[in-house]
Amino acid sequence: MNVNGAEHSFHVDSTDRLIDVLRERMGLKSVKEGCGTGDCGICAVLVEGKLVNSCLMLAAQCDGRRVVTLEGLLDDPVMKRFQGSFVANNAAQCGFCTPAMLLAAWDLAKHSSNPSTGEIKTAISGILCRCTGYYPILDSIREGCRKEARP
Amino acid sequence: MTEQVSEFLESIEEKAEKGRLLYIGENVARVDSLEKVLGKPVYTADLVPRGTAYAKLFHSSIPHGVIRGMELAAAKAHPGVLGVLTWRDIPGVNESSCILPDRQLFAKSEVRSTGDIIGAVVAETWPAAADAAASIKVEYESLPAVFDPLEALKPDAIKLHPNGNVAKQMRIRKGDVEKGFSQSDLVLEKTYRTQFQDAAPLEPEMGMAIPSGDGGVTVIGSMQSPHHTQAAVAKVLNLPLGKVRVIQAVTGGAFGPKSDETPFDVCSTASLAAVKYGKPVFCSLDREDSMIMHTKRHPFIIRHKTGVTSDGLLLADEARLVSDTGAYASLGVLVIMRATFHCTGAYEVPSVKADSYLVYTDNTYAGSLRGFGGPQAIFAIESQIEELAHKLGIDPLEFRLKNMLVPGKRNATGALMDDSCGLPQCLEKVVASSNYWEKNSRYKAQTGTVRRGLGISLLMHGNSLGPEGNDYGAVHIEIEKDGTISFGTGLTEYGTGAVSGMMQVASSVLGVPLSRFKMERPDTSKHRESGPTVASRVVVIGGNAALLAAGKLRSRLDAVAAEMLKVSGASLAIVDGIAFDRRNPSTSVSWEALVAESYRRGIKMDEDGFYMAPPAPWDPETGQGTPYLQYTWGALVAEVEVDTETGWYRVLGVHTAYDVGRAVNPGGVLGQIYGGTVQGIGYATMEELVQKEGFVINPNLGDYYIPTSMDIPPEFKAYIVEVPGPLGPFGAKIIAEPPIVLPAPAIRNAVLNATGVSVDDLPVTSEKVLMGAKQKQTQPSL
Repeated sequence: MNVNGAEHSFHVDSTDRLIDVLRERMGLKSVKEGCGTGDCGICAVLVEGKLVNSCLMLAAQCDGRRVVTLEGLLDDPVMKRFQGSFVANNAAQCGFCTPAMLLAAWDLAKHSSNPSTGEIKTAISGILCRCTGYYPILDSIREGCRKEARP
Repeated sequence: MTEQVSEFLESIEEKAEKGRLLYIGENVARVDSLEKVLGKPVYTADLVPRGTAYAKLFHSSIPHGVIRGMELAAAKAHPGVLGVLTWRDIPGVNESSCILPDRQLFAKSEVRSTGDIIGAVVAETWPAAADAAASIKVEYESLPAVFDPLEALKPDAIKLHPNGNVAKQMRIRKGDVEKGFSQSDLVLEKTYRTQFQDAAPLEPEMGMAIPSGDGGVTVIGSMQSPHHTQAAVAKVLNLPLGKVRVIQAVTGGAFGPKSDETPFDVCSTASLAAVKYGKPVFCSLDREDSMIMHTKRHPFIIRHKTGVTSDGLLLADEARLVSDTGAYASLGVLVIMRATFHCTGAYEVPSVKADSYLVYTDNTYAGSLRGFGGPQAIFAIESQIEELAHKLGIDPLEFRLKNMLVPGKRNATGALMDDSCGLPQCLEKVVASSNYWEKNSRYKAQTGTVRRGLGISLLMHGNSLGPEGNDYGAVHIEIEKDGTISFGTGLTEYGTGAVSGMMQVASSVLGVPLSRFKMERPDTSKHRESGPTVASRVVVIGGNAALLAAGKLRSRLDAVAAEMLKVSGASLAIVDGIAFDRRNPSTSVSWEALVAESYRRGIKMDEDGFYMAPPAPWDPETGQGTPYLQYTWGALVAEVEVDTETGWYRVLGVHTAYDVGRAVNPGGVLGQIYGGTVQGIGYATMEELVQKEGFVINPNLGDYYIPTSMDIPPEFKAYIVEVPGPLGPFGAKIIAEPPIVLPAPAIRNAVLNATGVSVDDLPVTSEKVLMGAKQKQTQPSL
């Protein structure tokens, strides 16, 4: 599979979860586990450009597919904007949901430069946050998307 | 404020630049933000090295009984399993408890709840540990169980602990309630109930232990109070404290349970296994185990009998608070105290009689959770206040204005409110923001099935540990040779930004921006014991310690700078780390040069700050005195829209204001208000950990609902009021806990005002709104 732009080839068991391969074999620790049952969404990664829960996906399902985690976007200018707006708005408190929220924001920015509050809420609705009450995250995503729209 | 702190404060305020204190009141980015947005591997599970073994705890499958035998052979023979740990493997004391020694780490014979831990399987891989644990069979002899605290209080109830089923009793005796009732025109008696709430931090409890060369262990874990964990591990392993080193990793949310007993469980288990098998061991709870084994918010049954005059003056309140602590007391001993002291809320009642009981049952146990007894107490009294206003035909806001605490009035403990009470300002803000008067009169004339309503709640929240123990904090600041300022404390950061707040205090005193600071991970081998990181006390108590440490260093640096610049101390300033002469600002010395010169002269460049709050005296017989040294005040107006045909409702808006004394970091304060309010909306509307006959039936985030982004109100207005308090640095008051308290009663009252239905037990679900009147009839009273 292609992880963060580089091809990787290894043997996986049929029951190996994507999250374990990413975290344990590849050392991509930005991917967090909060429930293991797909309820909290904080293990989200992008597979073929779609946000999925890596605890619910088998590694074998990603054979030949593109997987992107936060580590793969650290040099991305759009991601940098979101990182800046998250820091400025105090949108990362305990920080455990932050990588997933950032990926969701980045994914949203691809589709919309001026999303409505409803669109932002929908984009992160599958990811739980227990610290921020979501408002600072909504502000950060709105700001990051707007900056993206500027020339 | 103690003399020690005020003396430093005076000398610092003299140095204040342009009449203000540098950085205090500014929105400074938290020092730990960057590692979080970069997704750095800083949490416990990220730090597990290759070759680490995994420990999986297994717990009781019955709520009450005696263990007759265990079949461990299959688990031990499972491929990859190193062994199974039970009580027999404990070299020290088999105990994992905070206050009362009522809870074992691994059950020896009797189990009192399904959350009781029996032992742990240690294996080379996590799946091997989990599979082997599933093969363990424990033979029990069931005993009769009790799940209702009112049943457990009955004289013929089965006894769960040697001293009976009451773990703690508390009382308040103020004035003469009988006389108060006899003078009252109306006496209302009602009972309110609250539910088990789960804190649900996104990172469950976990700890990793690495054996050290001296027979001890180094533990890295997710927790609030590393020194308490150190003591717990040392006790279980029979090791001196010096051989147990505990480091708090970056912690993915805590909210109370991580100051309680579960961090002891995972860290002690990992340590036992690490020493026994001579390798690093990681012990983690998955979500289900976490929700079964860690502490929840105590459910309370609170009865108020309240007397009031026909023109709306409160005369007397008799309260009975019964709290279900489950099988063990944990921090519930202190939760019941805070609930009792806050039982009449933010109101002056001349006569108060309160009796409260922390009761053991066979439910999984309850303990510390954000608000710590406040949410339950305030829900009951604010509901009672609303009911009284309705009975008297007085507007609920008018009724509150007549009875609320303002300077000169006395609360339930008899403490005289002084000028630091900012409750009136908070109420004024939310009334204006919500357009209360206009909307309220408009909503009274509503017809049709969809109705709107407003609800108010008021808050008094005692700052400081007060009766909960000595309230102290320690800080160590070291200025490194390159000018980096290392900041270490035994108090912890777990998402609140509080340690950043402490550092902001130090940075203001030194005149050096926060960007030059480095936050050390709390480490019991380096940092002084600072009490537990609970009760939102970090910025207030720890902030004073930071102020003292930084103040001592500033004095020394000033002396060196004055000589370098050849100026007198009075005209010396340090701004953004640059020292200069106020009268001649072109002459300056850089921070690096000042630090280098200080090192050259052999000046001591590290300093400790230790602050202990003054005693908070009160009488346990009457509950009278000053159990808290200052108060945070708050007010909230919630607006709801209810479909009266289905009971479905939504929270349209929340207007809330808090008197935080002095907002050290306003962005951080707002962060606490947003987060706490939404957690409080969850408590009000959807969160309930259901225990049926002692079994948690929704131990996962699919059935235990917490608010998502779709559940937050479309309108949210938050206001900061600053009426300085006597305790905190620059007048700061606490803020992390209070915001969770107010949503539940305000939403409940808003639903009542929209529909006439009183929902007296949390959460306020649509079903209860619809069935409201009928449900009330079926509730047994105390």
